[in-house]
Order: sequence, then C-alpha cells, then structure tokens
Amino acid sequence: MPTAALTLAAALAAATSGSLNVGDKLVPFSLKDYAGKSVDLKAFDGKKAVVLMFIATECPVSNAYNDRMAALAKDYSAKGVAIVGINANRAEDTSRIAEHAKQHGLEFPILKDVDNLQADRFGAQVTPETFVFDNSWTLRYHGRIDDNQKGDNIQNQDLRNALEAVLAGKEIAVKETKAFGCTIKRVQK
Amino acid sequence: MTALLLAAALAGQVDATGVHRAVAAQKGRPVLVNLWATWCAPCVEEFPTLVALARDRKDVAVVSISIDDSSDRKAVETFVARQDPPFPVYLKANGDDEAFIDGVDREWSGVVPVTLIFDRSGKRVALLQGEHSKAEIEKALEEAKR
Repeated sequence: MPTAALTLAAALAAATSGSLNVGDKLVPFSLKDYAGKSVDLKAFDGKKAVVLMFIATECPVSNAYNDRMAALAKDYSAKGVAIVGINANRAEDTSRIAEHAKQHGLEFPILKDVDNLQADRFGAQVTPETFVFDNSWTLRYHGRIDDNQKGDNIQNQDLRNALEAVLAGKEIAVKETKAFGCTIKRVQK
Repeated sequence: MTALLLAAALAGQVDATGVHRAVAAQKGRPVLVNLWATWCAPCVEEFPTLVALARDRKDVAVVSISIDDSSDRKAVETFVARQDPPFPVYLKANGDDEAFIDGVDREWSGVVPVTLIFDRSGKRVALLQGEHSKAEIEKALEEAKR
C-alpha cells in the first residue's frame, strides 16, 4: 500500500477505533467554543505543536491545574504552540465553561464536546488529560500535565518536557503517562 | 470517643504491592477492591453502595483504598468514620501516582472510582472504571464466582 494510503488508513482507524495512540495521526475537527464560535483545528496548521487538554469546571483535580494551564498557555503560545481545552462533561454547559474560564484566567480556546464524541474518539477518560500533536498532527505525547496534583512537589513536568522535545525536534523521553483524575461524565448512548 | 473512632478509621497506608498483598490475604473468596478519593463526587456517592454490599455479602471480601494525598488524611478519616464500613480502608502511601496506578493494574486509566474484582484464586476478573451501581457490581461478582 502506498505511504499516503497507509497514513490515511491509520488516520481513519484512529478516528473510529475509540482511542488515539501515540504515533496516530489526527484528522483535524471542528467544535464550537463556549461563545458558540466554530473553531476548526485546521486553523492551527503551521503551529509547531498543538496541545488538546480535556478539562472540567467542577473536577477538583482539573481545577488544581488551572493556574498551571494558564501559565502553560502563556509560556508556549509565544513559542508557536497552540493550547486548546476541550470540555466533554455532559453537565457543564457553555455558560458555566465561560464563567469558569474567566474566573481562572484561562485565556486559551475551550471547546464544547457535545455528546463527548471527541472524548470517545480520543479514548480520553479523565480530566485533566492532555494530547500533544506535532505540526503534522501526529500524536506525540498523551497523559498528565505533571506528576503532582497539588503542585507543591513536582518532580516531572511531563507535558512541558514533551513540548520542549517537540520544539527541539527531539524524541520525547516519556511519551505516555497516567494520573489520577475525575471521570469524564459522558452522555448515556 | 470521637478521637478513638477517627484513629480506628483507617487500616494503614499501602503502596501497589500492599494492595495485592491485601487481596492475597483474602484468598479463598472473591475480593472486591475499590479505589476512591474524598475529592471525587462519584466515589463519595458510590461508597454507601459498597458498605451495603459488604453487609449483604459475607462471601465477598471488600478492601477499600483512598487515593487521597496523605496530607488530606483527616478528611479521609472523618468520611470513613461517618460511613462506618464493615471493611478495611487504607490510604495510598506517598509515592509516584503513575507507578501506583500501573502497579495496581496496568489496564486502569487512573480514573476513580475504580473497582477491581478478583476471583478465589486471586486472578483479577473485572475492572469497573467509574461509578457503578450495586447491581452492576453484583453482576461482576457473580461472574467472579464461576
């Protein structure tokens, strides 16, 4: 099979298999943000990396990371990285997401994943959970932001380490991590 | 009296090896291991279900592990003392969360609550990630008895 066809097959498989694995290509999608504006990920073509973060407004773990998410967006937007939040929790509506973003200084786009279609497609389970794509939309890192929920004893800055590696064109040392988090509250299907 | 109740609320701290040791100590009957946290609303909602199940099902051993940070031990003790469960409740020992998650079960995503069911031989036969009803847990327990 030609390479292009293989790539397409892999992308289609990733789009339908229910989980995205490191090395898979993402087919960019569109979702509306909390203001109702449609955001097409293709708009981030040309970025050096794109970070998609499944986040929540009511999860204490996700909320423990609000300041670190805001800092991440500030630090890396200047380096050509797009930070995008996705809220897939069924009970958290756009007005609550808007209010929460304003309250916590989350200045990056936050998209509403209605019916958790993208969470299902990604296989995202918890909040916060992050996915780092390089400039060819290949998933390079999946997992936690860092290794300390409370933020007072961080030993491994896994997400930042992954971004630094992508920006430097290097191999990411730790490509997948796990962390405790709140369940993404899905719609019943 | 309150101090005594609180002091008795937790069985101790465990790492992943300790979780498996607690399961192995119950060999001979199915074991239900539930991991939860006080900050997790679905976990707090599910806890009374486990208490009821443990009271109904003497043929099943229940082991509960709070993954709260050890600095939140008092909150865990207060919650457990109020619930008065007929099973031991441990607190996750300090250490790397990912190592703990993988050490408990590599298929566990890290989501809480999570319930693992082991059959009489100690083999893990069910992994219920997220909150589950008493009926769903009982169904998994029935399968563990086969």
